[in-house]
Amino acid sequence: MLRYIIGRLLSILLTFFVVSLIVFLMMHSVPGGPFDGNDMPVSDAVKAKLNASLGLDKPLYEQYLRYMWGVLHFDFGVPFQSPGETVTELLARAWPPSLILGGSGVLIGAPLGILMGMAAALRRNTWFDYLVSAVSTLGLTIPVFVISMMLIMVFSVWLNWLPAGGWEKPYSWILPITAYAAVPMATYARYTRSAMLDVMTKPFVTVLRAKGLSERRIIFQHVLRNAALPLVTVFLPMFIGTATGSIFVEAMFRVPGLGAYFVSSIELRDYPLEMSLILMITMMFCVAYLISDIVYALLNPRIRFGGKS
Amino acid sequence: MPLVDIQNLHVSFPQHEGLVQAVRGMSLTIEAGESVGIVGESGSGKSVTCMAALRLLRHPPSRITADRLSLDGVDMLTASRRDLARVRGKVASMVFQDPMSAFDPVFTIGHQIVETIRAHTDASLSAATDQAVALLDRVRIKTPLSILNSYPHQLSGGMLQRAMIAMALSCRPKILFADEPTTALDVTIQAQILALIKDLQAELGMGLVMVTHDLGVVAETVDRVVVMYGGRVMEEGPVQAIFDDPQHPYTRALLNSIPGRTPGKQRLTEIAGQSPNPANPPAGCPFHPRCTVALPDCATTAPATRQIGPGRTAACWGLT
Repeated sequence: MLRYIIGRLLSILLTFFVVSLIVFLMMHSVPGGPFDGNDMPVSDAVKAKLNASLGLDKPLYEQYLRYMWGVLHFDFGVPFQSPGETVTELLARAWPPSLILGGSGVLIGAPLGILMGMAAALRRNTWFDYLVSAVSTLGLTIPVFVISMMLIMVFSVWLNWLPAGGWEKPYSWILPITAYAAVPMATYARYTRSAMLDVMTKPFVTVLRAKGLSERRIIFQHVLRNAALPLVTVFLPMFIGTATGSIFVEAMFRVPGLGAYFVSSIELRDYPLEMSLILMITMMFCVAYLISDIVYALLNPRIRFGGKS
Repeated sequence: MPLVDIQNLHVSFPQHEGLVQAVRGMSLTIEAGESVGIVGESGSGKSVTCMAALRLLRHPPSRITADRLSLDGVDMLTASRRDLARVRGKVASMVFQDPMSAFDPVFTIGHQIVETIRAHTDASLSAATDQAVALLDRVRIKTPLSILNSYPHQLSGGMLQRAMIAMALSCRPKILFADEPTTALDVTIQAQILALIKDLQAELGMGLVMVTHDLGVVAETVDRVVVMYGGRVMEEGPVQAIFDDPQHPYTRALLNSIPGRTPGKQRLTEIAGQSPNPANPPAGCPFHPRCTVALPDCATTAPATRQIGPGRTAACWGLT
């Protein structure tokens, strides 16, 4: 187990390195630079001076090594679009709203979806099952900005219960989080339903019935435990993917989160911020998959680390 | 009061090709301590009969009707879920065909035996664990403790089948339904498992229903044989009498197709034709299209089951 984790951590470091190299090369292969914008044109002399002050006149490999050396010391540089703060300070300011939005969206949506999927599986082919299927299909197919607009129409414009945007008061969080929760809820409802039905047709469930176990024990102990295995593998990666912020939900509800920076850092050739954001996501995905794999193995006795059983 | 009392059982499933009539008017009574073999080809309705007796078929989609379907006096047709759970495992247990898929893969064998004991008694965890060890010992497992802590995927088919038998016997049922318990096992293990079941039946004095397509299995393990075909009982009687003097043409044909029953080098006879389509069974006796001595009546009216000797019945127009 320990050897397995150490091996995985080493492979995460390698992934991290490869991703940073590819992203750095792609980033610089895009034509233009941070001071080529048309809204505030600067003269070539000023541009050269600015580039020199930021080290952008150096050869690419040197820029890369300097940046990565900084990363090793947790120095992620200064964002070009907001030179008054470091990347770390920008993250500390803009990440919390995204984390609250994405985190609560998943933490509310996933359990709801699991309950819906369970209930649908237990009442297969009834009106409730069809309702869950319809709701989860809609949740997955309607784009999240359309869901956001419908929520704003109903709860802000018609009913006038909740603000149409902003992030100042906790009750202004309700609509964006609801919009956010739709996808994890729908995904989980579908996964849970099909995982439960898959397990319920296994021969061992008939054996459990033949032993005289109560239906409740069969469902909650045996079926759920087996159905949980495929669910674990989708849970954490989804959590991480959404915790980094949804560009659409944040834009629709004017949430001052990280989402907008993903777009602007590319548009503005904000190299330090772009690198930092992508390295951050890479790290989170690697760690999420590592944790999911460990949890999966702990739940599934058929998997053992290191080859000895 | 018979332990198993099944009268005029019908089981059908709606399928794409129509209503599949798996069992069509099956009757079976078993007294305490009796051992009975149900023999027939695949699709004859033998396994479905056992599943229906324990109400293990999902209902719907399956449709079950019977004049009587009771186990140890409990009416299984009207029993509540809770009553069914009380009968299953306690009054009547079942051993299934494929031991590899019969256990929950994420729990140990011990857990699964212990939970069965604790579902029916108020034994403490440690008492139930002790019982589980004793049970594994009883099914001739030499290292009960290590098997107890093993997960299903770590054990062989033969070992799992022993464990399943131990689990089925854990609450001392009055009757054990064994549904082709050796079909999925290696030939060398088959004989051991059959001997084990037979010994345990004698030791515990319980009833036994051995479902099989293998007449050899029946000859070794049971006292009475029920021959099924097309969802109906063709012939029933003591095992020796059936083997020595089969009365029903189907039984005769079945016995003739066992290799080595007649001395000398002889071509093995098979039963011509195919078993009936359960979605569209032939009118009259289900066997008449393949029967070499069929009469005109056979194709129109199903023969009634008649007494043809002491403890022997058969359903055939040719026996009148």
